[in-house]
Amino acid sequence: MESNHPLTFADQVRAMPGGEHLDLCYSCGTCVSKCMIQQKLEPEYNPRRLLRMVMMDMREEAFNSPTTWLCSACDLCYPACPQQIHISDVIEAVKNLAVEAGYSTPLETVEVDEARCSGCAICVMTCPYEAPHLIEKEVNGVMDRFSEVDAENCMGCGMCVAACPMGAIARPGVSNAEISSQIDIKTQNSSPSLVVFICDWCLRVDADLEILESYPDNVRVIHIPCSGRIDPQMALIALNSGIDGVLVCGCAPGECHYQRGNYVSSCKLSLLDKMLGQMDLANGQVRFVQLGTQDRGRIRHEIDGMLVQLLQEAS
Amino acid sequence: MVDAARHPKITVKTYTNVERVEGYVGNFKVQLREKARFVRADRCNGCGECASACPIEVPNYFEMNLAPRKAAYVAMSQSVPLLYTIDQDACIHCYKCVDACGALDAIDFSQEDKVEWEDVGSIVVATGFNHFDPSVMPEYGYSRYPNVITAMEMERLNNSAGPTTGNLMRPSDGQNPKRVAIINCVGSRDKRFNPWCSNFCCMYAIKNAILLKQMYPDIELSIYYMDIRTPSKGYEEFYDRAREMGIHFIQGRPGLITENELTHNLFVHSEDVSLGKVMEREYDMVMLNQAAVPQPDVDTVSSVLNISQSPGGWFMEYHPKLRPVDSPTDGIFLAGACQGQKDIPASVSSGLACASRAGRILHSDEWQIEPIIAQVWEDRCVSADGKQCGLCAKACPYGAITVEKGTAAQVVTAKCHGCGGCVAECPHNAITQMHYTDAQVLAQIRALLAEKPEEKIFAFRCHWCSYGGADLAGTSHFDYSANERGIRVMCSARMDSDFIYEAFRLGAGAVLYSGCHPQDCHYITGQRVGATRADRLMRTLDKLGMSPGRFRIEWISAAEGDKYARVINEMQQTINEIGKEKLSQEIEGMKAELEKRARRMYEAPRVTEASDYSDEMALAMSVLEVKEVKDGK
Repeated sequence: MESNHPLTFADQVRAMPGGEHLDLCYSCGTCVSKCMIQQKLEPEYNPRRLLRMVMMDMREEAFNSPTTWLCSACDLCYPACPQQIHISDVIEAVKNLAVEAGYSTPLETVEVDEARCSGCAICVMTCPYEAPHLIEKEVNGVMDRFSEVDAENCMGCGMCVAACPMGAIARPGVSNAEISSQIDIKTQNSSPSLVVFICDWCLRVDADLEILESYPDNVRVIHIPCSGRIDPQMALIALNSGIDGVLVCGCAPGECHYQRGNYVSSCKLSLLDKMLGQMDLANGQVRFVQLGTQDRGRIRHEIDGMLVQLLQEAS
Repeated sequence: MVDAARHPKITVKTYTNVERVEGYVGNFKVQLREKARFVRADRCNGCGECASACPIEVPNYFEMNLAPRKAAYVAMSQSVPLLYTIDQDACIHCYKCVDACGALDAIDFSQEDKVEWEDVGSIVVATGFNHFDPSVMPEYGYSRYPNVITAMEMERLNNSAGPTTGNLMRPSDGQNPKRVAIINCVGSRDKRFNPWCSNFCCMYAIKNAILLKQMYPDIELSIYYMDIRTPSKGYEEFYDRAREMGIHFIQGRPGLITENELTHNLFVHSEDVSLGKVMEREYDMVMLNQAAVPQPDVDTVSSVLNISQSPGGWFMEYHPKLRPVDSPTDGIFLAGACQGQKDIPASVSSGLACASRAGRILHSDEWQIEPIIAQVWEDRCVSADGKQCGLCAKACPYGAITVEKGTAAQVVTAKCHGCGGCVAECPHNAITQMHYTDAQVLAQIRALLAEKPEEKIFAFRCHWCSYGGADLAGTSHFDYSANERGIRVMCSARMDSDFIYEAFRLGAGAVLYSGCHPQDCHYITGQRVGATRADRLMRTLDKLGMSPGRFRIEWISAAEGDKYARVINEMQQTINEIGKEKLSQEIEGMKAELEKRARRMYEAPRVTEASDYSDEMALAMSVLEVKEVKDGK
């Protein structure tokens, strides 16, 4: 029969799009094992437990849980969920309620330098999370447009940083200068030099990270939050400074941690390849590979293959 | 099985398909196609010389394709009867088998399929189940990683008569695995594939783990599970025994398996739910416990036998609690896992139950059926006049009506279950249903709407579901509008459009058309007949200008008392909102059209006819007549 009780926290989440199937969760743990945030970022991260907190009406605990804030809605868990619960929608519903209640994200987000921003809105179009938006503001008596980033929505992928033509957006740790400064290889003897830009999420297992560390100095590994963070300019800087090849690693199609960063970078790098071709420079020095969640050990083949190719070209 | 084959009164027909079934309980005729084996059954003694001589090898399905078989083969070593078969898809016609057979001369390449009709009294369906193919789940890498195997493959690998003579070895390198993971619920309890729990996988995961532990005491075994379900006698104790033997039970459904490409060792990524931590554990071999799924040819079998399917494709029983082995068609019984996933004890008991149910038919000269059956008024049936109609036969879920041009439609009484779909569908009012005649139903409608009809919510409820729902609403003391007036008919298929027109013609405030949920219909497809008609009615009433909500269609099960109460309350609210005046005005405006459409109420309901069936009903009719006389004054 109908009840007249006021809406509980769980009811509020159920009423939001995606929250309808909340109660179907039987805590099998598939989502947690699919998600990489617990492994890579935050040991306390656990979507299964967040769903449980919501079901049990634990409002404060849910708002304070890192799970509420760190989910980037990559939706690796949704197609795997045996109960077909759209988990990222539920988490977003909780996050929206948390923001309404005055909570804010613990993530380090990007900031816009208004002195440089021209208000072109490229960042608005690039962001998968609709975090940046344009505002109008009076500066020295003249109305001007600026981009402003909504901290609650920003996931820190850095796609806007790469896209901004004015260099007006930055996030501590992944600004253009910080990444470019890592591109330095002291070329030793005759072995070819290679810069590997690797996205933080495409290597699922620790064994693969160990493979990366096993290479000598002629292979420089630069960690970036997402392959979408790559600016083709960085590849050009690397080639210009005498480095033989650039390998960009991202997630497999459909598995990007930031929804579409891998798609953006594949477009950018194929354009770059075309451009180098027009200048008669393209012979495979820049390559983009997409590593899937089950491609254990594939990174070794990719790097070795690239080095062999560079060696053949050099001789 | 051997005992059965030797029994003088049992004939075992293997390699034979049932192609057609005609007739009814006690008098079935079945068409059997005995496929050509190219080996004469009367001569073959099962010595196997033909198989030894045969040069062709193909994968052996019985061994889960882990071993080959010859083109001359028996399905399995314990086949009954032990007859060899020549697989024509593989045979190259070298005739070495003919030479090997020698003087026995059992091999006959000129054999053809034999089609014959047989008379039987009852039919038991025991077609079993199939197993889910996990290669459609890329996350577990089955068919991509050599050391991920299914439970059925494990069954052959640790069987002493299997391809490895019981030696458990990894497919990649033939080594004995030291660490084995068993993953439960692969494809079951999973809304992407099969929502059901497959019932017996927990038990055979534990069984296999204990068997392996006994054979290889040093082996490390982990069972990944969501819930361990050990509900029957002795099962929980078996589970305890497995834990005492040192088998790890890890709660958490793995999301992913990755493989080391050099060693072919596997890494199972799962959350240990108790710890809330994601684990990556290394194993030599992973066994997937696949879901039990219906046989791939259930659709063919159900259409041949005219039995319905539950959601998912299992054959549907007549009643889930009270008649679990009867099919909806009398004389056909369901044994074992074709009716739903069952373990061995449950399959054996359902088989025994089927045998006794089927035997009861064979030993009786008479068969009792419900008295509620359809009858044709031959003088009204247009088929007798040579016209094309056959709507009754189309509506019948049991194929109980035969229509031939030139003669009136015939109801095979033994097949009729009394849903009344044909009665409501007949446009010429030529069929009636015993105990639910038009006269009786109309009399009830008229009696219940005799006073203040515009305040009434008139509910048509089907006997099996929504009547039960209304009953439950009452016994559970759920409050619902006292203006509800409901009558029972056997099925929503019986709810004639004329009844609804008549209810509105009498001025009913609102009418509810309710029956079973589509998959629950007691009469196989009766609900579908009713639902189609109700949708048509809804459109017609809409066109006539009726306010939305006055005619409502709801499917309410016997367990949904709360829904029944809610629907009635919502309808009360709707008529309150429309207002009495508008309710009556609408009816006045439509009256001519309603009278024109509800032809049946002039043709069928005759008081004398009603009195043939029930005294009470005659009384109700006479009261009504008195009232009409009064109104006439």
